Amino acid sequence: MNDNVIKVENLVKYFDGRCVLDGINLTVPRGCIYGLLGRNGAGKTTIIRILLGLEPATRGRTSLLGTESTNLAPKIRGRIGCVAEGHNLIQNYKVERLIKLCKDLALQWNDESFGHLIETFRLPMDRRVKDLSMGMRAQLNLSLAMAIDPELLILDDPTLGLDTVARRQFLELAIEVIQKQDRTILFCSHILSDVERIAERIGILAAGKLVVDCPLEQLKNRVKKLRVIFSESVPANLYLTEIINQQIQGREMAITVANWNRQKQAILETFKPSSCTEIPMSLEDIFIECTRPNPQPVEIA
Amino acid sequence: MKLSTNYIVRVLATGFVVLILLSIPLFWARLLCNVGLYLWMPYEIKSAAIEPSGLLPDNLENDPNIERHSRVSAKMEIEPLLPIGIIEYFESTSPGQSRSCLILSSSEKDWAYFDNKSGQFVFRYVETKIMPDSDKLKREVQYYIGPEGISELPDKTLGRFIEPIADNSEFKTSLWKSSKIILYDKKLRHFFAINLKDRNITKGPQLSEDDTHRPIDIGILNKNDDILDLYWMPPTINNQSIYSRKLRIHITERDPGYRPDRYILVLDKSGRIDLLDKETLEFAGPAGRLPTPATLFPTYKNATPDDLLAYRVLPVALKEDHKYRGLFAATVNWEGTALALAVFDANGVPIKSDQTWTSVRRGNRRTHSSRAVLFGFPGAPAITIGKFLLENLHPPILFLASYFTAGSFEAASGHRALFLLPNSFVAMKGRDARENIAARFLYALLLMSPSIVLAILLALRVSKDAAIVGLSRKTRRWWLFGTITFGLVGYITYRLTRPKITLVTCANCGKPRRPDTDICHRCGSKWDVPELIPPAWRVLNG
Amino acid sequence: MLTLIKREIRDHELFFIGSVILSAVLIGLSIATLDGHYWIELVTFDSPAGAIVLPIIIFGFFAMGAVQMNTDRIRKISAFISILSVSRNRILLAKIIAGLLAILIALVPLAVTVTILLRIHAPPIPIFYVMVLEIFSGTFLITLACYFIGLQAGWNSGRPIPAIVGLALTCILATLILIKGFTPEIIVILSLFIVASLIRTWHLFMSTPL
Repeated sequence: MNDNVIKVENLVKYFDGRCVLDGINLTVPRGCIYGLLGRNGAGKTTIIRILLGLEPATRGRTSLLGTESTNLAPKIRGRIGCVAEGHNLIQNYKVERLIKLCKDLALQWNDESFGHLIETFRLPMDRRVKDLSMGMRAQLNLSLAMAIDPELLILDDPTLGLDTVARRQFLELAIEVIQKQDRTILFCSHILSDVERIAERIGILAAGKLVVDCPLEQLKNRVKKLRVIFSESVPANLYLTEIINQQIQGREMAITVANWNRQKQAILETFKPSSCTEIPMSLEDIFIECTRPNPQPVEIA
Repeated sequence: MKLSTNYIVRVLATGFVVLILLSIPLFWARLLCNVGLYLWMPYEIKSAAIEPSGLLPDNLENDPNIERHSRVSAKMEIEPLLPIGIIEYFESTSPGQSRSCLILSSSEKDWAYFDNKSGQFVFRYVETKIMPDSDKLKREVQYYIGPEGISELPDKTLGRFIEPIADNSEFKTSLWKSSKIILYDKKLRHFFAINLKDRNITKGPQLSEDDTHRPIDIGILNKNDDILDLYWMPPTINNQSIYSRKLRIHITERDPGYRPDRYILVLDKSGRIDLLDKETLEFAGPAGRLPTPATLFPTYKNATPDDLLAYRVLPVALKEDHKYRGLFAATVNWEGTALALAVFDANGVPIKSDQTWTSVRRGNRRTHSSRAVLFGFPGAPAITIGKFLLENLHPPILFLASYFTAGSFEAASGHRALFLLPNSFVAMKGRDARENIAARFLYALLLMSPSIVLAILLALRVSKDAAIVGLSRKTRRWWLFGTITFGLVGYITYRLTRPKITLVTCANCGKPRRPDTDICHRCGSKWDVPELIPPAWRVLNG
Repeated sequence: MLTLIKREIRDHELFFIGSVILSAVLIGLSIATLDGHYWIELVTFDSPAGAIVLPIIIFGFFAMGAVQMNTDRIRKISAFISILSVSRNRILLAKIIAGLLAILIALVPLAVTVTILLRIHAPPIPIFYVMVLEIFSGTFLITLACYFIGLQAGWNSGRPIPAIVGLALTCILATLILIKGFTPEIIVILSLFIVASLIRTWHLFMSTPL
């Protein structure tokens, strides 16, 4: 059995002459919870759509569960649950009819689990989907995705529109899925605290590239933000590579560096700073640093 | 980009769809041009007449009291809806018509048809028998008729007809039940005479394989008679026609009183008309032939029934002796622009003839109507040029095929052709029997030159665009060849199947390049996306 | 597959109801017209009913094809369903089968009724049955061809020009019946056209992002 559930090789995507993805390489192994992050328009949804075969790639290859995305057989699709951005359901159907359709088309259907979800979310059966609130649609979408006991769950901003309680319920559900053996989740969200809670591995898209692709803990260790105070002025050139961001205020400098290691530490120490303290960063902080548009040093008055 | 099977299939499918959807409006546009020509055709070039007719005895024709001699006239009235196949479809299923197995349908109770399955004719009618006590006994009867006999029950021993043609003239009256019905089987090569009254069938001698006779019609010989009128008027005396009970002269073959003597007419595939003896069922000699009307590019060969849009043959017999005197024959050419009329005596010798002519504006010169219709009248040249240009919008390959298949179509069906153009100027040249093959072909190419020039111009455009979108050289060559061959159809097909990709500017050569290829198809440089400025650092795990 | 077909039928039930009504009306007219005295007219087809009914059928099913695809694009139905355990091939096939069923519902009962009426009232002359077969085959094929044009026109959602072009092409194609009649030739031409249209529709559906 192929260990990589999701595989993206040299993916390039153009929309009307505008490049969105420029050579993305990504693998998600079985049982992994992968958080794919990026700013608006970075291409997260595009990657997911290409993976699901809804959108053709301009160049490159993508595969799900060992099958090329352009040739996903129904049997493979039946093992994938998906919550799409915007909760694209058939709007004019009643909830009951939509559920019946999904149930009839599914390869497997967990009635018990689905019924439990519907009860928990208290979804009205006789109402049309378009008459549901955004949150209810999200709940319905999620329930439908979970009901098929998916081997791979793809969630594209699934908590959009959910209130705090519903979001927590969703996360608990996701954890429930995780606990099942060999289940894989690809998770995109702008609520990074949620991602931080459940993701094992993080990917960050910026300027068409996957600039970050590593385990979450490793990310926190490798991206460091330091507050450095120099005795005199800040040196013009620190001879440090992989500077993500640099802010200077008088003799004080806040610098974010990727792949922090002893060598870089030693280089910094050669400038004999008065102090050098690490500023702890959450995933959100790292994300903001990594996706800043202009990495040039900024002088703050 | 290499050719894939999917791409080829898609191109062929699109090409076929485009061919059909382009051919249809071109057909209607050409039809409109033809309708214009037919409607504006002056009366003088639609009719021909011969006076005196030449078939009456001298004592009648040269009577000193005659005011006006006998006259035979033919007039063509081209039906604009002639090319409309649906009308022809339903008309051809009427009794006696080409597609119909029905040979009679005079009422709910009287009908007759040919059953392809059993190879026998089935006649059903009400038979009236006069009993000894003078009472009339009516009963419905049904007969099955094969080459070997007649039976009231289906019977395989009656044999099978294979490809019969029947003389429908008998069915114009109710006398068919008591008279002979003549038919001919093209495969068996026998004539048969069916006598329903005596319940027998007479078989004539078989025509040998080397016998040149190839009958295609018997009895009333006409084709598309609604566009060709042929009528005959007796001599007039003191403003009255010579008309008496004693000497009744029959005007048309449908005249109920017309009873020919022992002969009926048989039309041959070659256009020759023969007399058939109804008693012996053998040929009794020639009766004449279908006259050859003029065409735009003259042909010297004798016109065959397939070459003619319409024909009509009118035999003449006098009531006093029912003796066959001769026949009048009128024909309309393939294009519907000329009419020929001829008179043949009882021995089949042509004695008189006429064609449709006109005097055109330049110097009172007489011109065949086939040319005058197209160029001789106000508005006609413009319509003719329009028709010519419309023909040249067709794919050159089909245009060329029209030249080579010019003689293969039947005239009326040629008016309904969609893809090949048997009525085009090129096809007319293909039927031209005058010149040698090479000269004729070169002339045809000249007529096709607008089509060829258009195809070449479009092909160059396609080739240029194909290079821009990065199609491989082989693919471009195929498109060039395809567009030259299929002209406008090829061009439209290319536009519909062209890869829908927005080209981006190559950072190396500055020209538009395809984003879906690994290297620039123009300069070969690798990919670069200058508008995206990703950071130099990466945090990747292995 | 059955689920998808049922879904299509239910989503476009108006067209199916229309087919049933049309079929019923035509059957009624046939029974009223084709009694014992008028079978001869069938041969010459004097009734203008055919000239009115045929365009209704043709344009009606063009509209069905266009509406099927257009509603699919607007409501993103295929985008949703294709995420489920279904391939795009099957989604398209279900649409086409639904369209085929609607056309058959409109035509087959009428064809059967006319054949039965001919058996009852008309002499057993083969030409009638051949004509019935030819006319209904021709009508079925031209309707199917125009339905496929509708599918392609409707796939370009929201823009009026493809719909207008599709309608114009339907008008053009419908005149093929006038040009050729219901001859075997038209059956060949239309069959090839349908296959070609099917290939185009399939490619359009499979290659367009959902």
